[in-house]
This record gives sequence, C-alpha cells and structure tokens, in this order.
Amino acid sequence: MDFGIFTFLLQDGLNSAAIYCLMAIAIILVFTTTRVLFVAQGDFLVLGALTLSQLQLGRVPGTVWILAGLALLAFAMEGAQALRERSRRRALRAVLFCLLVPALVGGGVAWFSGKELGLAIDILATIALVGPIGPLLYRIAFQPLADKSILVLMVVATAVHFVIISLSLIFFGAEGWRTPALTDAQFALGPVLISGQVIAIIVTSLLLIVVLFLFFSNSVYGKSLIATASNRVGARLMGISTAQSGMLSFAMASAIGCVSGILIGSITTIYYDTGLVLTLKGLIAAVFGGLASFPAAAAGAVILGLIESYSAFFASAYKEIILFSLLIPLLMWRFVLAGHQDLEEEA
Amino acid sequence: MEFRKKMGHVLAAALSVSVMATAAAAEIRIGVLLSTTGPNASIGIPYNNMLTVVPDTFGGESFRLIHLNDASDPSTSVRNARKVINEDKVDIIIGGSSSPAALAIAEVAEETQTPFLALSAVNQQVKGMDWVFVVPHAVDTMLTPVVNDMKAEGVTRVGYIGYSDAWGDIVLGAFQAITEGTGISVVAEERFARADTSVAGQVLKLVAARPDAVLVGASGVAAALPNVTLVERGFKGPIFHTHATIIPEFLRVGGAKVEGAIAPSGPFVVGEQLPEDHPLKATAAAAAALYEAAFGAGSKNAFAGYSYDAFVLAATAAVKAAETAEPGTGAYRAAVRAAIENSGDEVIGATAIYAMTPEDHTGVDERSVVLVQVTDGAFKLKP
Amino acid sequence: MSRLVFAAAAIFALFAAPLVFSEHRIVLMNYVGIATLVATGLYLLTSIGGLISFGQAAFVGVGAYTTAYLATAHAMPAGLTLVIMLAVNFALALLVGAITLRLSGYYLSIATIAWGLGAYYLFGTLDMLGGHTGIGNIPGITVLGVSLTQARAFFYLEWSIVIAMMIAVHNLLHSREGRAVRALKSGGVMVSAMGIDIFRTRIAIFVAAAMLAAIAGWLFAYMQRFVSPAPFNLIASMEYLFMAVIGGTGSVVAALLGAGIVVALKDVLTNTLPKLLGSNVNIEALVFGVAVVAILQWSPGGLWSLARRVGGVLPALRTPDRSPSGGRTLPRKLRKDPGAELLSITNVGKRFAGLVAIDDVTMSVRAGEIVALIGPNGAGKTTLFNIITGVLKPSSGTVSFCGDQVSGRLPNRITELGISRTFQHVKLVPTMTTLENVALGTHLRGRAGFVAASLRAERAENAGMLGEAAAQIARVGLQGKEALSPTDLPLGDQRIVEIARALASDPYLLLLDEPAAGLRLTEKRALADLLRSLRAEGLGIVLVEHDMEFVMGLADRVVVMNFGRQIAEGTPADVQSDREVIRAYLGEEA
Repeated sequence: MDFGIFTFLLQDGLNSAAIYCLMAIAIILVFTTTRVLFVAQGDFLVLGALTLSQLQLGRVPGTVWILAGLALLAFAMEGAQALRERSRRRALRAVLFCLLVPALVGGGVAWFSGKELGLAIDILATIALVGPIGPLLYRIAFQPLADKSILVLMVVATAVHFVIISLSLIFFGAEGWRTPALTDAQFALGPVLISGQVIAIIVTSLLLIVVLFLFFSNSVYGKSLIATASNRVGARLMGISTAQSGMLSFAMASAIGCVSGILIGSITTIYYDTGLVLTLKGLIAAVFGGLASFPAAAAGAVILGLIESYSAFFASAYKEIILFSLLIPLLMWRFVLAGHQDLEEEA
Repeated sequence: MEFRKKMGHVLAAALSVSVMATAAAAEIRIGVLLSTTGPNASIGIPYNNMLTVVPDTFGGESFRLIHLNDASDPSTSVRNARKVINEDKVDIIIGGSSSPAALAIAEVAEETQTPFLALSAVNQQVKGMDWVFVVPHAVDTMLTPVVNDMKAEGVTRVGYIGYSDAWGDIVLGAFQAITEGTGISVVAEERFARADTSVAGQVLKLVAARPDAVLVGASGVAAALPNVTLVERGFKGPIFHTHATIIPEFLRVGGAKVEGAIAPSGPFVVGEQLPEDHPLKATAAAAAALYEAAFGAGSKNAFAGYSYDAFVLAATAAVKAAETAEPGTGAYRAAVRAAIENSGDEVIGATAIYAMTPEDHTGVDERSVVLVQVTDGAFKLKP
Repeated sequence: MSRLVFAAAAIFALFAAPLVFSEHRIVLMNYVGIATLVATGLYLLTSIGGLISFGQAAFVGVGAYTTAYLATAHAMPAGLTLVIMLAVNFALALLVGAITLRLSGYYLSIATIAWGLGAYYLFGTLDMLGGHTGIGNIPGITVLGVSLTQARAFFYLEWSIVIAMMIAVHNLLHSREGRAVRALKSGGVMVSAMGIDIFRTRIAIFVAAAMLAAIAGWLFAYMQRFVSPAPFNLIASMEYLFMAVIGGTGSVVAALLGAGIVVALKDVLTNTLPKLLGSNVNIEALVFGVAVVAILQWSPGGLWSLARRVGGVLPALRTPDRSPSGGRTLPRKLRKDPGAELLSITNVGKRFAGLVAIDDVTMSVRAGEIVALIGPNGAGKTTLFNIITGVLKPSSGTVSFCGDQVSGRLPNRITELGISRTFQHVKLVPTMTTLENVALGTHLRGRAGFVAASLRAERAENAGMLGEAAAQIARVGLQGKEALSPTDLPLGDQRIVEIARALASDPYLLLLDEPAAGLRLTEKRALADLLRSLRAEGLGIVLVEHDMEFVMGLADRVVVMNFGRQIAEGTPADVQSDREVIRAYLGEEA
C-alpha cells in the first residue's frame, strides 16, 4: 500500500464517516430528546436522495403522496384530540400544520416539478418535502406512546422503518438511483485528488456537529429539549411540552437525513432499502458516543469509516462481519464506562 | 396513465377469467414464481412484468399464468412451488429470480415431477436433474465471447470484482474455468455488496494489481458503482460486465462514466441493431414491442427477454404435449418435459435459440450471444 | 378444568387439520408452527422478560445450518443432529448472552442486532455452509421408520414439538423461576431484593429463547430440506419480534396467535392481494408496520388481550391453578437467640456527586427488637436501607450482618443472608396474583431450576412455596385476596402484601419502609400486633415511619436522622425529650 492508496482510502473513509456521523447525530438527537432509538433514520436519507433524483428527472416524486398521507392521518389524530378537548387553538393548529403547510409544500412541488428550475430549487423542494415527514411520523406513531419504555419505542421505530421502506419501494421502485453531483470541483492534495463533493459532505457534517453542540450546551431551548428527555414530568411542570420537543427533534432528524441523502446521492447508488445498513452504522457510532455525546459519536464515526474503508481494501469479503462484530467489544467498553448503575437506573 | 394501464390489466384479467370460466376445459396452467419485492426485486420485477403481458393463447391452446411472489426468500419460493403444484395443479413452473431460489424450486420440481424453467443461470448446480431446464445462457456460454474479446485485445491480467453472494461466486468460477490454460489470469479478486455505498477500497486494490481489464460480476444498477469508481480512479483498460447488467437503469445511474463498458448479452436488447438475416431479429422485435407497449418505450431489458423465452419454451412444449395427454395430469407433465427435451427443431425465442436434449437442459450456444458496448449512453452491438 | 377441556379440544382439532385442509394450508401451518416456536421464545424473553432481541432469526439459522451441515456432509440421523445442534446453540447462546446480557435494556438490543447481522453474513461467507447458495438435498426426516417428507406427516411431528414446548414454557412461567422471570420488568431493585440473580435469570431466558429458535431451525431444515441465508436475516428477526408484539401477553397462546396471524397475513398479502390489484405492490411490510404501531397504541397487550377483552369470557387474571394446598412444608432457618446482634452499621457515609446523603451513621439491630428510623423527608432513611440491602455501595464505613461484612455484596447475596425488605413506593408485579407476588419472597427457599419447572418435576416444592405464601397472606390478614391482582387492592393493603412477601423469605431481619402509610386506624393496630408477634419470634425489625404514635408505641429503640446525620438514638422516651430532635424534627411538627 503506497501513500497514494493510503490517502485515498483515508479520504474514502472520512467520506463514509461524515455520513455515519450525520446518522449518529440524528440518532443521538432523537434518543436524548424522545428516548426513541430511531432505526428508521437512514430511511430519511433514502427519501432525500430519491426525491431529489425524481425532481431532477422532472417527475413528481412519490414523497408528495407519502407527505399527503401522513398529513391527513396526523390531521385526523390531532382533529380528534381537538374535538375531545374542545380546543379551538388545537384545531386551528391542526388545520395549519397538518393540512395547509403540507398542502402548500406538496402542491407547490407537484406544480413546479418538470419546469427545470435548477438544482438549487430542487434541493430546497426536497428538504421542504422530506423535512415535515419526521414530525408527522412522531405525531402519528410516537407521541401517543411517549411515556412508554425505551423498548416499546424501539419496536415502534422498527415498525416505522418497515412502513417507510415499503412506501419507498412502491413509489420509487426496486432499482437504485443517483442524483447529479453538486459540484465537479476537484482539489489536488499532493498526489491525491479530492473531490469537492467529499469536502462538501465533510464540511456539512462538521458544521452540524458544531451547531448542535452549541445548541444543546448553550441555548435555553436546547437545554430544555434535553430536559424533556431526562425528566418528562419535571419538564411538563416547567412548561416544556414533550410533544413539541419530540416534533422538533424529529424535524431536525428528518432534515439531517434529507441533507445527508442529497449529499451522498451523487457519489453512490441509493436503493429503497439502503437506509437500514446506514442507520446501523450510524448507530454503532452513536453507541461509541454513549448515545449522548456528539463529539464522541463523531470520533466513533471516523473510526468506523476508516475501518470500513481499509477493511474493504484488505478483506472485502469479510467487511460487514468485521464492522458489526466491532459492536460487541464496543458495547462492553461502554458498559464498563457506565459502571454498575444498572439497579438504580431501573429503580 | 399508469393507473389507467393498471385498470386495463384488471379489466382484461377479469374478462379473461370470465371467458375462461366458460371454456376452462383444456386450460394449461403455468406457475410463475419470482421475487417482486426484497433485494432481488430489481431482477424479479422485469422478469415478472414480461410474463404479465405474454399472450393468453398460444398455438391454439389457452394458458393461465399464476404469479406468486417469494419476497426474495428462497424458503418462500419452496412454499410457493408446493402451492402452485398442489393447489393450482400447474403443469409447468417458470421462475427463480436468484440462484438460491431457482435451486430451491428445482428440488420441489424434481420431487413432484413438474417441468421447471429456471430463470437463473444455475446450469452447473442442476446438472443431472430431469425436470429442470435453464433458460438464461449458461454463464460460461456468456463469458466465452468476453474471453475471446479479451484475447483479441491482448488482455492477460484480469481484475475481478463481484458480489459477495452466489452470483459473484458463479461468475468468477465460470470465468476461471474458461480461461484455464489460455494465458489469461485473475490477478485480483474483490467482493462488494449490493447495498455498499462505496467500493473505493476494493477498486484501489484492483487497480494496484495493474490488470489489463476488469470483469464485474454484479447485476443491474449495482454494477455501475465499481465501474464508475474504476473510471474515477483513472483505470483506462476495458471493463467487462455480465449479461445481468443489461438494463436501462444501469445506463441512467452510470451516466458518462460507464461509457465503453462491454457486456455479453442475448440479442434481445439490441434486436433492432441485428442484421436483417439474424434468426432472432423478428422474435426480438415482437417481444420488445409487447414489453414496451405495456411498460414504456426504452424499458426493454435482458430479463424481459429471458422470461419471454421461458414462456415460449413452455408454451411450445405444452402445445405439443397436449396432443398426447390431458393438461393437469402427470402424464401431461411428462409429455411437456419430453417435448422440451426433444426440441431438436430448435425453439426460437427473443434472446436465444434453444435446442434442448435429455442431456443438455440449456441448449443455448454461442450463436445466441452478442457483445454489446455502451456507446453514446446506449447499449450498442459491439462490432 | 374447563380450560383443560378447551385446550384438549383445540389440540384435537389441530391434529385433525391434515385430514381436512389442502396441502398448501398444511404447509402454511407447518410454517406457523416453526414461527410459533420462535415467537414462544420471544414471548418468554420479550413479552415477559422485557428483553428485546433482534437476533432470534440468527439462532434459527444456526439451528438450521448446523442440522443441514451434519445431515448432508456427515449423513447423520435426525436424532443426532438434534442433540448436536442443541449443544452448539446452547454454547453459542450462553456466549452471546454472557457478553450482552450484562448490558442494560437498549444496549442489549443493539448488541443483538450486531449478533444477528454478524451471523447472517457468516452464513453467506462460509464455504462449508454453501456460501450464499446454501445447502440443499437435506435428507428427509424418518421417525420410527416412517418418512416425514410429506407436509401432512411432518405436521404431526412438528406440532407435537410445538405444543410440548408451549406447555413447557407455560409450566415454567408458573414456577419458582418463572415468577422470577415475570418479575423482571418490575425493576432490578425489587427483583434482587427477593434474592433473584437478575443476570442468571436473564441468561436463562435468553438461552431458552435461543433453544426454542434452534429447534425451529432444526425443523425448518428437515421441512424445507434446503437452507440459505435469506430467511435468517435481520428483517426476519424483526418479523419474529412483530409476531410477539402482535400476539401480545397474557398467555403463551399469544405467541401462536401472533405467529399464525403474521404468517397467514403474509401469505395473503404477498400473493392474493397483488393478484386482485394487478400489480406488484409490496404491501405486507406496510401492513405489518402499521399493525404493530396500531396495536401498541390501542392494545399494548396485543391481540390476545384484545381478544380476551372483547370476548370477556376468561377472567382478567388467571386464578392460581396450583392451589396452595401444600401447607407450610418449606424448611425454616434456625431462629437467632433474642439479643444476638444481627446488623451492625459502622461509620457509614454516602455521597452522590459531592452531595452528602448520609454522613457517618453508626447503629445496630439485635434479634428480637424493633428499631425505628425516623427523620424528616430527605433525611437519608431510604438511602440507608438501600445501602444495607446492597442497592447502593457506601462511600465510607462498613455494614455487617451476623458478623459477615455485607457492604459490596450484590443485593441478592445479601437477601440470602436473611435480610428482607419492603419499599417506600410499592413494588409489586401487576401481572401476577397477590399469591404469586408473595411467593416471589420464597424464591431462595426453593431450588428447582428451569428444566425441572418446564417438566413440572418440582410440583411438591412449588406447592410448598405457594403454601408458604398463602400462610403469610393469612398471617398479615389478607386471606381471600390471594387471587386478586395487587393493583386491585387499596394502597395500604399493597404495603401489607409487601410485608407478607418479605416474611415469605424467612428472614432474620426485616426492613420496613413506611409500612403504615395509607392504613386506617384498626389496620394500624393489626399491623402493630403483627410486628410485636414477629419480634416475639426473635425477628429483628427496622422501621422507617412518619406516624409518631405508631412508632413510639412500638419501637424498642429509635434512631433519628436529619440531613443525612444521625442526631439521636435511644428509647422512645429518651428521643422524645432530646433537645436537638425537638428542634430539628419534632419541634417543627409541633
């Protein structure tokens, strides 16, 4: 292995690492605020990439129908609750967020698609379509179960994953898709050419880590998000709505997933079912960060990306086995770090 | 549009059901067992699509196709096979979109003595089975022109990158068998998974072995990823694929970076480019018209060609067998098998000429293989 | 009795199925049987034990592949492959369990994802196992010279095994170890206070679930006579989990219900529905996903509890079928002589992240005395209980019991020594009857393990445990409430049930955390009488209580705590006249 190969693999590894990192960030974000171990996170990435690919072809992406369906369901649930509570405010909110906004977004995209408005508009349209799916899913699937155990929420997340992949298969088909490159720029770093796309991916994920880190450690809203997770009753007393914080974190998760999909969609082929494997790798990175620390998860993502890249070079047939068997010693290590808190935690 | 087409199918199906209800006597039933969901759906769907538009009648006999989806799980294929045999009393089975599925169905076919036309190239594994016929070209038949082309180009060092699954194993095995003693050797062997988002590591290792050419043992869209990565890494030699790569989506996903890629194929996908006197010219055009009328212009693909041929093989034999036995009986199934095995007069399909014998259950030779090359974003017959 | 008749009729009807139904139905039912085995394991592990495994399909795979390999490469007969396959799976499950089960809750689930994926990729990579193509041509199974290659014949073998395993799991759940399993979800502190080794119990149900999955794999290999990696992937594991969730809880039959519905629905959805719609819509994953979310939202107990609610025929909680007629047959410990020192706490302190919860407490308890521990809220009383019982480790000082140092031991080990407790916030298992809850306390007085329980070979011992539980319930004055769920009792009674449970362990020392809270006056008097008679039997009792009248009329000695410090100790009269106590505590009240 010469230096050129070494650095190229490094670049490739960092590239994957950036995507795993984005996955891990979203997983931690959702977990710390809602206690949901969201195994469908990767499916947002898939939706992002596939939606953009459809828009680029001038077609109305199936995401419009997914959004419409979820919005109607959420409206029914919210509306029913508004009726029960006889709350005009809640009813108005339901009409606004579950009907008007999705209708505007979906209708707008359906109207504009095929008019070749350029990549930037398509990307914005993609985010506008995929972004609301997160909070809608939270409202429909998770909010009614918000006080249930982590394990129940995990089963729900698994079920949600099943729902999204089958919708993706219905709307996008079994074949893979690619999106056009965001940039064709190339930079020479010694003997290695680094593509602008890879830099865009890495910079975006670094930026997100920093922003989220600041958000959670410095802003009042960020802190209150964390508070709702660790103490739901207390947070409610302090006037922080768990429903709102849940929807906010799911909105962030779907937006992060969507952006990752837009970033990665042009350097690899995305299938309707690519999401799970990416989620699991993000999950490994998140576990590395103890499902709590963004910087540690980022470090985990880098290690994971590099191991994957180099093991693909040295033993490609065993790559997956190597990656997933890493998780067990990793978990043991986390367990040792966490100490024997088992009993108290459950009590 | 899509919807109307679907409604059309439903109506047509409803009509044909009612028609059949009145004249159900000599209906010949074919079980179609494919994966239309799950990881193999990208192959199973085009196979299945063609079999939804083949004619209801053939040679004066009426046919009913019973489609079951195994969701890419071979154990479900087995269950489905038993179901169509026991419940629907099918006379023939077509299916097996992956080699594990085809092998799984093959065992049921042998046990229940039902003729089975496999849609995966499992020639090696089903040798000696009496009731199993393989429709797609054997991998070695397909790779022979590839090897010839390599020889012509002076290639001696070949890098291989294939799926880490059965298909990856089969392609490599066949290639090594053909090149034995030809001076062509595999200098690097790498594997990847369909869902991988990067094959950079594997490609680097391939390139580092300095091959003259690379053979990609993948299928469909996923074959584009190693090809694109090779090109991006500056690999200048020819890149060869297998016939499983010949689908329009490969071109769509690969774009300019798969330009120049070479693959063997049945003539079906380049039917219109065949010389006028080519024996498959007319059938390929007819089958392509049938498919594209239903699924859109430019949608024809190698898989559709095979499933069309499977139907033609089945129907031809079924018509012949109907002269001696009654459909739905063991005697009839035996007659179908005999008819397929003795197609000495050569069945002309859309993508191959089949001359099966009791010893040879593939019956396809190199006349039915062409090399195609991606030129200007389309599959073109390689001169 | 009627339940038994019903079950017999159902089994009879099931065994008549091959005579009635079409071949495909029978094949489908064979798949249901296999899925039921796996789901039964998950019923035990997930629905009851509260541990989620995403690796069950991998265990099915190990079972199927081991069988396939041995039957083809070594031409072994089915009996031998069964034994070897079970041994392989047992070792593997033990290994995976030993690594992962020390992790808590969701980390465990993540670890099983890794195990499930790793095993799946390995099946496809190992040449010995036929790579991605798998292993075919597995010879059919022959039992007593009868070939079972036909689905109808195989049906009888398979369903006999499935029913036997369901009965075994049912038996297990109504045994000593089964009660421990059923208590697992109620939290580690209570469970280990019963002397139950949580880790061992978790491993046991993990291994049991894996063995059930392995047997399913063994059957799968002989039924299919072909194995390939696809049916053993992560998605398959998720589907098994869905079966358990959809089936629900309440009876092991729920596993059968879940498996039956999922397999049948899948068959209908993959094959019938697309035919009607005329297209290739992958609808089954969609339906399962939606169904699972809907069930968890509307009927967390799954379809089984929904059906039972709708049907309304069967009572909400099963009456204990093994009636406590055994009497008090359990051996008792030798009593300590009154006055012998039981508990000795020396200079114990506890800090949480710099915050001092307990500061330098020294006290002792002798056999045959009642010591009251009083003090305002937050004084550190419950923390002290937690230190004595091993839930918390003291930051400084030592706790010893009958001369043995106990600080640093696991809670269940400390319970073994003869310390038993109740909780400030009642910790009873809502899904068990009062009798069963109290019987949890007898855990350490029995020894029958999982295997004996599955076979009901421990009938005598179990009857003794239930008899002891009934006797303790009678002693605390709750006779007649045995069959009720503790959630149907008033809170005061629930506290009394906890005392009965604590007594059922035959302790030397009883730690009671606010036992009189929520009791009416007459009940308080009865409780005081009970504690006095226990004292007379030589028990040591430590009492945390706010009701001063209750305490002062009962306790031999009183220890007063405030802000983690021990501020006074003495007879009730001494303490009541103590200046500092009056200022810090009683003074505020007055």
